[in-house]
Amino acid sequence: MNKKVLVVDDDPDVRLFNVTVVEENGFIPIEASNGEEGLKLLKEEKPDLVILDVLMPRQSGIRLYRELKTDKSLKNIHVILLSGIAKKTFLRSQKALTEFGGESVPEPEIYLEKPVEPEELSAAINQYIG
Amino acid sequence: MDIRKILFVTKFEELWFDAVESLLDLRQASLDHVVFLNVIEREKVALRRGKGYQKTEEVRLREMANIRFINWAESLFERGFEVGAYIVVGSLAKQVVIAVEKEEIDLIVVGHEKKGRIEQLYKSSDILEIIRRSRKPVLVYKYTPENTIAVKKPFERPLLATCFSATSQNAIGYLKRMQPVIKKVTIVHVADPKALKETSAMDVQKTRKKIRRKLDDLCDLLIAEGIDATPGIYVGSPSKEIVTAAKESNATMIIAGTSSNSSIKEKLVGSTSSFLAEKTLFPTLLIPPAT
Repeated sequence: MNKKVLVVDDDPDVRLFNVTVVEENGFIPIEASNGEEGLKLLKEEKPDLVILDVLMPRQSGIRLYRELKTDKSLKNIHVILLSGIAKKTFLRSQKALTEFGGESVPEPEIYLEKPVEPEELSAAINQYIG
Repeated sequence: MDIRKILFVTKFEELWFDAVESLLDLRQASLDHVVFLNVIEREKVALRRGKGYQKTEEVRLREMANIRFINWAESLFERGFEVGAYIVVGSLAKQVVIAVEKEEIDLIVVGHEKKGRIEQLYKSSDILEIIRRSRKPVLVYKYTPENTIAVKKPFERPLLATCFSATSQNAIGYLKRMQPVIKKVTIVHVADPKALKETSAMDVQKTRKKIRRKLDDLCDLLIAEGIDATPGIYVGSPSKEIVTAAKESNATMIIAGTSSNSSIKEKLVGSTSSFLAEKTLFPTLLIPPAT
């Protein structure tokens, strides 16, 4: 059975790009336009991989990543962060949230800064589920 | 009534990041989430004779806004805030209302763009339109060409202008929730000179005493929450006297209720809240009637 990849990004153009790369690699894409929708689909669809943006309406990728990595049933799902927000900011924000009393979460395995080339994203996807 | 999530509406030219920074103290009162909204006016990308819809221009404006929002978001994310952003094409008031509903916003923050008298007479101001259409409080930041620095701690010494209506009670509710960031509140009522046209000095004093007692009752509600509150009575034109009171009490912000006056009525008879939003230099928090 083909593996599923959840693409979470509020920008429809970026979603289309990511979905196309996912399909080109023979996987099944699922789309969400914000963190809240993404979390709902994560629970329903249990994808094999998530390609996650950071700055989004409703719920950011920072909070979604925390929810994912602190949920027993979801924490083993691989995540590729793909954002215009710097990796340094992502790490600092997770640190700040942990200091405010949240659970500590692991660093993301792959953090790509937008824009990415299709080959770069393909390689990252295949590193996990290829 | 907690202010957990704010919508920060910006055109960049008049509402800068220092205004966002000045609101971050509200974290002590429960602020956790900042949503940015930039509305690209339709006239900038469409409705140009012979040119059709200018997609390239839209992309350019979106990316310019996006770069700015990424910088702002990084600064807030690093301090543990949750951040979201919308960049949309459309009419400002409508897009604000849509974002407020989508995001379940508690407070709208807008910058005031000064317009000429004639323009204001014929074209309804965006800010007033937002105030009229919003069911959420609206904080209006003011900028003059010489002064583009926002008040550092707008919630530190607010002045609440009250007419003892249900909306004023609503405002008291908001102030209670902001206790951690407030140092002192001045509660002011501006009496109508006609109400003081009594035949004897004693009758006038009785009216004053009655108003003072009502103000004391409101102050007591805040004092019970650990907020220092002082009453003040002024007589005359509400708009003018509220500004005088704000200056005299060294207020950092004016808080007032909004009425449900229609746009036309407001244009004809004037309104204290629209005056405060548009004409004064104080940041103004306008609280709509309870629904």
